[in-house]
Amino acid sequence: MSIEVSGLNKKFGDFVALDNVDVTIPTGQLTALLGPSGGGKSTLLRIIAGLEKGDSGTVNIEGVDATNLPAQKRNVGFVFQHYAVFKHMTVAKNVAFGLEIRKRPKDEIEHRVNELLKLVHLSQFSHRLPSQLSGGQRQRMALARALAVEPKVLLLDEPFGALDAKVRKELRDWLRRLHDDVHVTTVFVTHDQEEALEVADEIVVVNEGRVEQVGTPDQLYDEPANDFVMSFLGEVTHLGGASLRPHDIELETAPRMAGAVEGTIARMVRIGFEVRLTVLTVDGDEVSVVATRTHARSQRLEEGSTVWLTPADGATMVPRMAVAG
Amino acid sequence: MTSTEIARVRPARTPRRSGPRSTLTRSSGLGLGIAMIWFSALVLIPLAAVVVTAIDGGWETFWATITNGQTMAAIKLTVFTAAGVTVVNVVMGPLIAWVLVRDRFWGKSVLEVMIDIPFALPTIVAGLVLLSLYGNADSPLGIDIANERPAVFLAFLFVTLPFVVRMVQPVLEELELDVEEAAASLGASRFTTFRRIILPSLAPAIAAGAALSFARGVSEYGSLVLLSGNLPFKTEVTSVRILSSIENDNVAAAAAVATVLLAISLTVIVLLDLIQRRVAARG
Repeated sequence: MSIEVSGLNKKFGDFVALDNVDVTIPTGQLTALLGPSGGGKSTLLRIIAGLEKGDSGTVNIEGVDATNLPAQKRNVGFVFQHYAVFKHMTVAKNVAFGLEIRKRPKDEIEHRVNELLKLVHLSQFSHRLPSQLSGGQRQRMALARALAVEPKVLLLDEPFGALDAKVRKELRDWLRRLHDDVHVTTVFVTHDQEEALEVADEIVVVNEGRVEQVGTPDQLYDEPANDFVMSFLGEVTHLGGASLRPHDIELETAPRMAGAVEGTIARMVRIGFEVRLTVLTVDGDEVSVVATRTHARSQRLEEGSTVWLTPADGATMVPRMAVAG
Repeated sequence: MTSTEIARVRPARTPRRSGPRSTLTRSSGLGLGIAMIWFSALVLIPLAAVVVTAIDGGWETFWATITNGQTMAAIKLTVFTAAGVTVVNVVMGPLIAWVLVRDRFWGKSVLEVMIDIPFALPTIVAGLVLLSLYGNADSPLGIDIANERPAVFLAFLFVTLPFVVRMVQPVLEELELDVEEAAASLGASRFTTFRRIILPSLAPAIAAGAALSFARGVSEYGSLVLLSGNLPFKTEVTSVRILSSIENDNVAAAAAVATVLLAISLTVIVLLDLIQRRVAARG
């Protein structure tokens, strides 16, 4: 296992950023730390990198106890949300920085820089200053710079957070392909569940300083450990005592199934092929349901109709939390 | 993806100095005219007049005036002291700015305001302050440097203190911490990070502050005139020398000294700019 964090605590004043966190990150995989802002995921990443120090607990990187190692000695690559470029250096110089520090021979540095710039598709920009690059290009340069020192692990803190939606999507796909080529153990922080589900091999859900669940995207989506994980990975509604996805509710105009909950359609919105309904049940719950347009039409659903709701076969359900998210 | 990005960035490849392509409209032309008249009336014409007065009596008179022993001593003292003070400021200024920007401590806002006192204080008041503290036998600090060369140094140091600090401070505030963290994670020690990342960013500000500090030193009068005693060949600076030339009705001599100072200041400013460019580009 590449990174092992155990018993990690971190407070900023009264604010508990990390609360006794244990997490293990597998070698050679692309792992996402997913969670809401202020949940502690960036703090965890920064402690792994040595940019922040935990109050207690240990960090082990590739079998070496790194808890008290300074950032300089950890040999991790770090990519920042806002690129953190060295403004006065050219793209090539930026990438060469870590190698120059390590006093590698000049021709070796040049060779490696060229290789990396090719990898991140920036070869023709090597003599530009970072200010002459777009945001996406700057972030690719930052990535090349981090990879130059052949880090044991690559850590990315909301790497696409400052980019616009289209570039973010492109870079996300590109990062996935790059990782398939380079195979360095990579951890990235994101608050975007779609990004995590799409790119990561494994996802660590972090909330309020605790690890809520660790698993593959499928595991997390299909078997969420609790209501929080479920609601964070997608839309959630509540039916009876359970949380489930709005598209996992079956809707009938007659009480055919046992245990079906009766309700009235309060609102109906059609968006393309799907219909989003809000149903007020006789228990006083407000349930969101997503149906296909065809289904809605064949059942002649309209606002005010009485319907019966049941969870679909194989629906993902977890018991509802005391305070609904 | 790559091809669109190339297209987007390509305009940047055109040389930045594309020649003096004028962007003047009628109104901005008027603005430029007013600016030039203003600048000429206040700066260019008086400067030209000083130079003309200086060489009016011919090259030999000019040369004789400035190679006069007493004048030469004053020029040397002024320039070397100003240079020395500038060196001190180049070291101390960023240090003070660093403390003000990066550290949090009790009384910081007070210190922040105090830095500007040498700016705001009438220089003769500064002179009086220095005299009462360092300039008499029963000085509360037990230091008496009245009529000695260190008095000139001290007075220069006092009035030039804020320049580098105030130039560097805003630049330091703008520096992103994550850039330093990036350098650290790439293996750079604190010192290397400072030398290769922070210093190049601060260099223009330090150079600008140094130029101001040097110019101010060379021109200083009020703050040192009381403490230094203005002794010829010892503590007399050029501004005092110019004044005494005028008082002796020797305008040409005053102008000659002024011209030399002008040339020196100009050289220093150009030199500092060159150094700044080198440091900023080195990384």
